Amino acid sequence: MKKRSLTWLLISVMAISMFLAGCGSKSTSSTAKDDTKSGSKKDTLVYGRGGDSTSLDPITTTEGETFKVTINIFENLVNYGKQDTTLHPGLAKSWEVSPDGLTYTFHLRQGVKFQDGTDFNADAVVFNFNRWMNGDEKQFPYYTMFGGFKKDPGHVIKEVKAVDQNTVQFILKRPMAPFLKNLAMSPFGIASPSAVKKWGDKFREHPVGTGPFKFVEWKQNDRIVLEKNPDYWQKGLPKLNKIIFRVIPENTARLNALANGEIDVMDGLNPSDEATVKANKNLQIIKRPSMNVGYLGFTVTRKPFDNKLVRQALSYAIDKKAIIKAFYGGQAIPAKNPMPPSIEGYNDAVQDYPYDLEKAKQLLAQAGYPNGFSMDLWAMPVARPYMPEGMKIAEVIQEDLSKIGVKAKIQSVDWATYLQKATKGDFDAYMLGWTGDNGDPDNFLYALLDKDSIGSNNYSRYDNPQVHDLLIKAQQEADQTKRNDLYKQAQQIIHDDAPWVPLVHSTPLLAASKDVVNYVPHPTGSEVLSEVEFK
Amino acid sequence: MAELVKNTVEIPTLQTEEKTISPWKEAWQSFYKNRLALAGLIIVVFFIILAIIAPLAAPYSYDGQTLTDRLQPPSSKHWFGTDDFGRDIFSRVVYGARISLWVGFFSVLGSVIAGTLLGIIAGYYGRWVDTIISRVFDVMLAFPSILLAIAVVAILGPSLQNALIAIAVINIPNFGRLIRSRVLSVKQEEYIMAARAIGMKDSRILLHHILPNSISPVIVQATLAIASAIIEAAGLGFLGLGAQPPTPEWGKMLADSKQYLVQAPWTLFFPGIAIALTVLGFNLMGDGLRDVLDPKMKQ
Repeated sequence: MKKRSLTWLLISVMAISMFLAGCGSKSTSSTAKDDTKSGSKKDTLVYGRGGDSTSLDPITTTEGETFKVTINIFENLVNYGKQDTTLHPGLAKSWEVSPDGLTYTFHLRQGVKFQDGTDFNADAVVFNFNRWMNGDEKQFPYYTMFGGFKKDPGHVIKEVKAVDQNTVQFILKRPMAPFLKNLAMSPFGIASPSAVKKWGDKFREHPVGTGPFKFVEWKQNDRIVLEKNPDYWQKGLPKLNKIIFRVIPENTARLNALANGEIDVMDGLNPSDEATVKANKNLQIIKRPSMNVGYLGFTVTRKPFDNKLVRQALSYAIDKKAIIKAFYGGQAIPAKNPMPPSIEGYNDAVQDYPYDLEKAKQLLAQAGYPNGFSMDLWAMPVARPYMPEGMKIAEVIQEDLSKIGVKAKIQSVDWATYLQKATKGDFDAYMLGWTGDNGDPDNFLYALLDKDSIGSNNYSRYDNPQVHDLLIKAQQEADQTKRNDLYKQAQQIIHDDAPWVPLVHSTPLLAASKDVVNYVPHPTGSEVLSEVEFK
Repeated sequence: MAELVKNTVEIPTLQTEEKTISPWKEAWQSFYKNRLALAGLIIVVFFIILAIIAPLAAPYSYDGQTLTDRLQPPSSKHWFGTDDFGRDIFSRVVYGARISLWVGFFSVLGSVIAGTLLGIIAGYYGRWVDTIISRVFDVMLAFPSILLAIAVVAILGPSLQNALIAIAVINIPNFGRLIRSRVLSVKQEEYIMAARAIGMKDSRILLHHILPNSISPVIVQATLAIASAIIEAAGLGFLGLGAQPPTPEWGKMLADSKQYLVQAPWTLFFPGIAIALTVLGFNLMGDGLRDVLDPKMKQ
C-alpha cells in the first residue's frame, strides 16, 4: 500500500512539474523582453542564422554564410544597388572602359583607411589581385570567375597595375561581359595588405578591410562579433555599435530565440511559420528579393541517369506546384530553367515538363525500365534559402517517384560532407540550389552546368559541348541582346537534356523584431548592415 | 548404473514440478489481483492486437500523401488529424505500433540471448573468462546507453534494422550481469554439486539446471527492457538515426512534426501518447511480474 501511494505521489509531482515547466518558459520570455525595452536605445544587433561561416577571408570560400559577415568588413571596387545587381561606385568612385573592352581604369576614393590604420590605395588593390591570381582552386575557389588563375590559358586578366596612388588599371586578354559585375561580388573585397602579410594563412580568422564594421572575435559554431569602425569613410555610418552573428541551426529554435528577444533578426524562416510571426505583434517579416533556384539534380555519369529518357521521365513525375503550396507557403514560383526569371536572358519560351504520370511511365518503359528502379535520393541536412525544408521536400519527391515505380531511398549527411560528395559525383540524385552572386546568367548557367565547372559547382557532371560553346561565346559578347539570345539557346538545350529538375525560385523569408529598421535584404543573400538601427 | 542414477534423480524432480505448478497459478492469481499490473497487461495486449490488425484498423495507407489536406485538425475523416504531408496520423500511429513493438521485442530478445549466454559462461566458469566478460560489460555500462546506441548506428549506418541491433547491443550487459549473479549463487547449491559429482556434462548442467533456476529475474527485466527499448528506438528515430522516411515510426513522427508544435499540436500529441502508453503498459506489467515472481517481494 505504501508503495502505491508513493507511485501516485511521483506521478503527480511529475505532472505538476511538467505544467510548471510549460508556464516557466513563458514567464522568462516576457521578462527577457522587459529587460530589452527598459534599456536606452539599443545599438547591438544580434543576427541569428542556421550555419557558421567557414572562413572570414571571403575569397577562400564560395559559401554564403561567410559573405553575410564579410560584406560588413570588406568593401569592393564597385557595389551592387540596394536591392538589385546594378553597378554603383564603391571603393572606386568612377571608372572608364576602353572601346575594345580590354582596359578598365578605376579612380579610387581618397582618404580611405583600412581598419588597421594603413592606407587604402592603388597598391593595395594590385596586391590583392596578385595574391588571388597566383593561387589555385583550393586556395581561392571563387577566383575562377575570371577564367582560372594566372597559370591557366583561360585567365582573363592580363595585368593589374597602379597608374598612380589613386588610379588602378585592369588589362584583359579578351573582353568579358560580366567583368564589372564579378568585381562587385563579396569574395573580391579588398583586404589590408599589411594584415594579410602579418597573419598569412591565419588571415581567414583575422580579417581586416575598409568596411563599416571591424572584426572582434569568432567562436566557431557559436558567434562572430563585429564592432563599429570609428574611422569609417562614410560619415554617420554605421549606425549600430555592434553586430553579433549567432548560430542556431534549427529553424524553429531560432524563431523561438527571436520571439524571446535573444536575437533581433533571423534568416531561414520556415514559410509555414510566416503566420506565427505575423500574429506576434513584436515581430515583422522581411522578404528577400528572389534570385535563386532550388533543384533536383541527377548525376548524369551514373546509371540509369546517363539515359536522357530516364531524366525526362522523372521530370514529368514531380508535382512542383504541390511542393510549393505545402512547403513554401506560396512564397515561390515553379522553376523551368536553371536560372530565375528576374535575370536578363531568361528563356520564358521553354515549356516546362507538366506533371504527367502516364507520360513519365511511358518514357521509363521506353528507356528500358518498365518496372522502375531503385535509387538513392540525397537531401541536404540544412535549411537553405532556396529550400528551407529539404528533407520534407525529398519525402514528397520520394512519394511522387513511387507512383511511377521508382523506389527512392532518402539519404543525408552533414552539410560539408554533402557538398564534398556532390562535387565528387557520388550521388544518384540530389537536392541542391544556388543563390545568384552577381545577377548575371553566366553566374548560373556557366557556374552550374558548364563542363568547366565539373569538379566545382557542376555536381551533375553535365557536359554538353554545344552548351559550352554558347556559354563561352556569351561571356565574350559585349552586346547584351546577343548575349541574352545565346543564353536562351543554352537554356533550351539544357531543358531537353534535363540534367536537373528545376524545382522552385523562392522568396526567402527573414523575421526581425519590430524595432529593427532599415534592414534592406539583398537578392544575393548578404547585405551591408551599416544603416540598420533600432527604433 | 547410469540409468539407475538417472531414475533416482528424476523422480524427485517430477514431484517438485508438480508442486511448482501451483506457484505459477498462484503467481497468476496475485498478478490478476494487482490491478495496475493488469492494466499494463491490457494496454500491452491492446497494442499487440492493434499491430497485428493494422491493415484492417487503419483507414488510410501510412504513406499516402495528400498535400492539399496537410495539417488538418482531428475530424471524423481523420481521427487524429493529418501531418504536414497530409498523411492520416491515426493510420500512421497504428502502423507505428508494429514497428515499435517489433523493435522492442526483437532487440530485447537479442540482448536476452546474448546476455544470458555471456552471463552464464562468466558466472559458471569464473576466473579469467569472468574477468574479461565482466570488464567488457563494465566498459559498456560506463557509457550513457543512448550514446552507445548512437555510436553503433553511426558505424552501421542509419536504418531501423541497425537501430534494433544497436538497442540490442546496449542492453546486453544488463542481462549479462543479472544472469551472472544468479549463476554465481545457483552454482553453489547442493544439487549442482551433486550433478557435478555424478559426472554430468557442463552443457547439461548449464542448460537443464542452472538456466531454469536463473531465468525468472530475466523475464521481469526483459519486460521492463522492452519499455526502454521502445523509448530508445523512438529516441534514435527522433535523432534521424532509426527508421527512415516514410516509415511511420513514432519517434520519427515526433521529430518530423516538432516545428508544428504551436500550429498543429495533434501531429505531436498522438504519437507522443502512443509512446507513453506502450511504455507505461510494459512498465506496469513488468512491475507486476516482479512482484509475483521475485521471492523477496512476496512478503
